[in-house]
Amino acid sequence: MELLEVKSLTKSFGKHVAVNDLSFSIEEGRCVALLGANGAGKTTTLEMLASLQKPTNGSISFLSVEKRDYREYIGYLPQYPVFFPWMNAIEYLVLMGELSGLSKSKAVARANELLELLGIADAKKRKIGGYSGGMKQRLGIAQALIHEPKLLMLDEPVSALDPVGRREILELMKLLKETTTILFSTHILHDAEEVCDDVIMIHKGELAVTASLSELRRKHQEDVIIISADENLDAWAGSIENWNIVSKVISTNNKIEIYVKNVAEARNLLLVEITEKKLPITKFTVGQTSLEDLFMEVVGR
Amino acid sequence: MKKWFVLHRKEWLEMTRNYKVIWIPLIFVLFGLMQPITSYYMPEILKNASNLPEGSVIEIPMPTSGEVLAQTLGQFNQMGILVLVLAFMGIVSSERKSGMLKAILVKPVRFSSYITAKWMSAVLLSVGAIFLGMLASWYYTVLLIGDYPFMNIVKGTSLYLIWIMFLLTFTVFLSTFLKSSGFVAAFTLLLSILLTLLTSLFEKYMEWSPAQLTNAAASLFISGKLEGPLMLPLITTVILTALILYLAATRKSSL
Repeated sequence: MELLEVKSLTKSFGKHVAVNDLSFSIEEGRCVALLGANGAGKTTTLEMLASLQKPTNGSISFLSVEKRDYREYIGYLPQYPVFFPWMNAIEYLVLMGELSGLSKSKAVARANELLELLGIADAKKRKIGGYSGGMKQRLGIAQALIHEPKLLMLDEPVSALDPVGRREILELMKLLKETTTILFSTHILHDAEEVCDDVIMIHKGELAVTASLSELRRKHQEDVIIISADENLDAWAGSIENWNIVSKVISTNNKIEIYVKNVAEARNLLLVEITEKKLPITKFTVGQTSLEDLFMEVVGR
Repeated sequence: MKKWFVLHRKEWLEMTRNYKVIWIPLIFVLFGLMQPITSYYMPEILKNASNLPEGSVIEIPMPTSGEVLAQTLGQFNQMGILVLVLAFMGIVSSERKSGMLKAILVKPVRFSSYITAKWMSAVLLSVGAIFLGMLASWYYTVLLIGDYPFMNIVKGTSLYLIWIMFLLTFTVFLSTFLKSSGFVAAFTLLLSILLTLLTSLFEKYMEWSPAQLTNAAASLFISGKLEGPLMLPLITTVILTALILYLAATRKSSL
């Protein structure tokens, strides 16, 4: 079922158009990554979806109803979560829970549950002002989840964290996506590939690609064989470029990337060729292109 | 409505944690008791403080109780307003600056609840502080200078509080959209000074002015009865306050 549908969403600040004619939809139960370079309009898009900014144009419908106040169904983690530093974690979560419409006792129970889940239960009585960045990020996720929202929106949930914190948040997201629809923005492709089901790529405020991760892999991922050698192989690279089985050859310095249509066959042919011509290779790698290449293609065009 | 109380409670918790509930009333109480005490001891103070030639005779007539209380009011109107405006200038703007406003409004909370809960907490604390201050002043006036009917204190202070509410509402209003809380304080103080000044300069044309309420309260203290315009400034002040509060609670353009 479609949870959220966005039609030609546009936001301009004076002459600057931050988001331009963006349309996409989010299916219930999916984990969706909003990808884009810095300044592509990710935060503006998320803030419009969270009703923190009014779109200049376009419509957002939640559960097929347009123009409703659906804030009680969403949880939102801003890029830089802020809190009342003079409160402790439990007070803050209870406040947010009550503001989301929970009763006090329900909010307290839920707050304790979440602090346990996010692993900051030990610090629940400490003032938030003394929390580390990672703990604040967890508390931010906890406040977003307090009222069991249908849609969880996370703005750059892992960008500001160290490798350990980032690993933990990604694991947490994998856990959460079992029960909640998640939309998160990131500029790190690797993270997106790891947890998401669908990808929305935006570039300069415009939609570049929207597809499921598997679809993207099928369409854009190619098999590639990378050969490194001790000497320059440009001449040889030129000679294999017109093989049927090769779609593209990129040769830089002593390294050749060969994009092939059939790995098994190409590998055999290339290995035979290498032994015949006694090429001084140092490395022979068979692999696949990552989405990084697609991203670079989108961003760099 | 439940959410309004939740927000209101949060304001009180915050004012407790940053000790506003203590230092604001304390300042007013101090101002309140300073006035009768300095009036009473003025001759002594002058004798000790100034290096007048030997044998100078200082004769200052002792002010009446009503006059001392009116002076207290005058003190509140200068230093008191400054304190209140400085205490509440960042009431909305600081939360907008820190991003807390967004964190709250992403929850299903109405902007008007958010603003009015804040407004109410500021009003209640100020009302309490000023009443306590006047009470302290009245107590020492009675003790040192002479008896004074308590009911007049209540009436006069209540009148004066309407003017304070007007200024507080203006502070909240400016705080909802000005980026710097310094500007909020500057503009509110400017408004208060301008209104007071114009009201005393052009009394004829400024009968409607909210600042008239201070004059009415002072005259009530001094002579025991109301002199000068009352209904007109009362009505305009209440209407203006309601209007400004409405504007503050409805604008939502820039978070």
